[in-house]
Amino acid sequence: MSFFIQSFVAANQLIWSMDAELLNIVLVSLSVSGLATVAASVVGIPAGFFLAYRRLPGKRIYITLLNTLLALPTVVIGLFVYVFISRRGVFGSLGLLYTQKAIIIGQFILIVPLITALTIAAISRVDERYRNTAKTLGANAWQTALVVLREGRFGIAAAVISAFGRVISEIGISMMLGGNIKGYTRTMTTAMALEYDKGSFTLAIALGLVLMAISLLVNILFQLVQGRSGA
Amino acid sequence: MHPLFELQNIRQHYHDRTVLDIASLRLEAGHIYALTGPNGAGKSTLLRLLAFLEEPTAGRLFFCGEQVRFSSRTALLNLRRRVVLVDQHPVAFSTTVAKNVEFGLKIRKMAKKQRQRLVAEVLDTVGLSQYCHGPANELSGGETQRLALARALAIQPEVLLCDEPTANVDVPNQHIILDVLSQINHKHSSSIIFTTHDQKQAEALAQHGLHLERGCLEYHNAA
Repeated sequence: MSFFIQSFVAANQLIWSMDAELLNIVLVSLSVSGLATVAASVVGIPAGFFLAYRRLPGKRIYITLLNTLLALPTVVIGLFVYVFISRRGVFGSLGLLYTQKAIIIGQFILIVPLITALTIAAISRVDERYRNTAKTLGANAWQTALVVLREGRFGIAAAVISAFGRVISEIGISMMLGGNIKGYTRTMTTAMALEYDKGSFTLAIALGLVLMAISLLVNILFQLVQGRSGA
Repeated sequence: MHPLFELQNIRQHYHDRTVLDIASLRLEAGHIYALTGPNGAGKSTLLRLLAFLEEPTAGRLFFCGEQVRFSSRTALLNLRRRVVLVDQHPVAFSTTVAKNVEFGLKIRKMAKKQRQRLVAEVLDTVGLSQYCHGPANELSGGETQRLALARALAIQPEVLLCDEPTANVDVPNQHIILDVLSQINHKHSSSIIFTTHDQKQAEALAQHGLHLERGCLEYHNAA
């Protein structure tokens, strides 16, 4: 127990002293996961909106497929992307393996289904009367769609926040595609795994605390957004 | 002169159920019509057809002498900009009261100053000026009904369709709504078609009465 307390105290000191290595790892994690979330939002929000808003044949099949993709393990995505970007892969010549871009691609694949599915849920919850009200007031198809999008905005924001929370804490993709290279592709989760392997807990606990703090912030934001949407 | 609306053999089915079956109906411009009938008689369906929000399963609908082409998006958009439906349970956009009223004007690309003047004027008419910059989704049921009316009035429609405008509001709000409807008919010669269960209200406000029973027009006369 005293070992844990000592590590915990040392970890706190590491955080408050703004240790350069710790800061670098946190920044890499935030930038990689942030970019993956932005890219996935650019694809997932319009896709989710389209699937929810339009009457499409086979809509239920698309939604079932999406929901299935939500359960995709990170290691499977890691393996899948690895096949394409490794030296012998189709995109091997691009030299993406063990770069931040590789992690972003993997994390993007991980959360696109999540953002799409949650956007579908958010838009489907928007009362049909908003669409009819916009139409009867003279709105064209685009203006009507914008009204529906605006009414579902808090649900969509919650989808994005939730997706960020998912990628910031994943390890499989970051480890398999990033390679855990110090100062370059080492993220909070991969660094924690490495420190654990080394039996050195100070940095691991410090990163764990930072990750928990980020997770708490994300959840506070999520609750605030959900509160505004009335959910 | 062409009638405002002309319905010829209009039928509306939902799945296998016929909810509206009107052989012939002519509605004249500038008049107030009260549409009565029991629940499920087809009143709201008729209003949605007249608002061009639904396409009839069969029959022909004419507006100002021209047949409505439900297949043409542009034609429908142009028609919808002349006719407004105020729902029985209206929803307020999740923004301010003023922006709700401004919506129809903004999409018609009206100049900002003119928009602001009209919004202030209309909110004053329905007695909601004090909530102008407040959130619309915090209004009471009666106030939301008045807001929906204000939103419709701002765009000065040729035809105002109201689905039970006073059904879910208290007596003071009922008087305000009925006064506003009467005013806009006199001031702007807007045609008004409203549904109600209240025969006295229909007689007090409308010049003509229409009665629907199980989707069919039972009588059409002066109220």
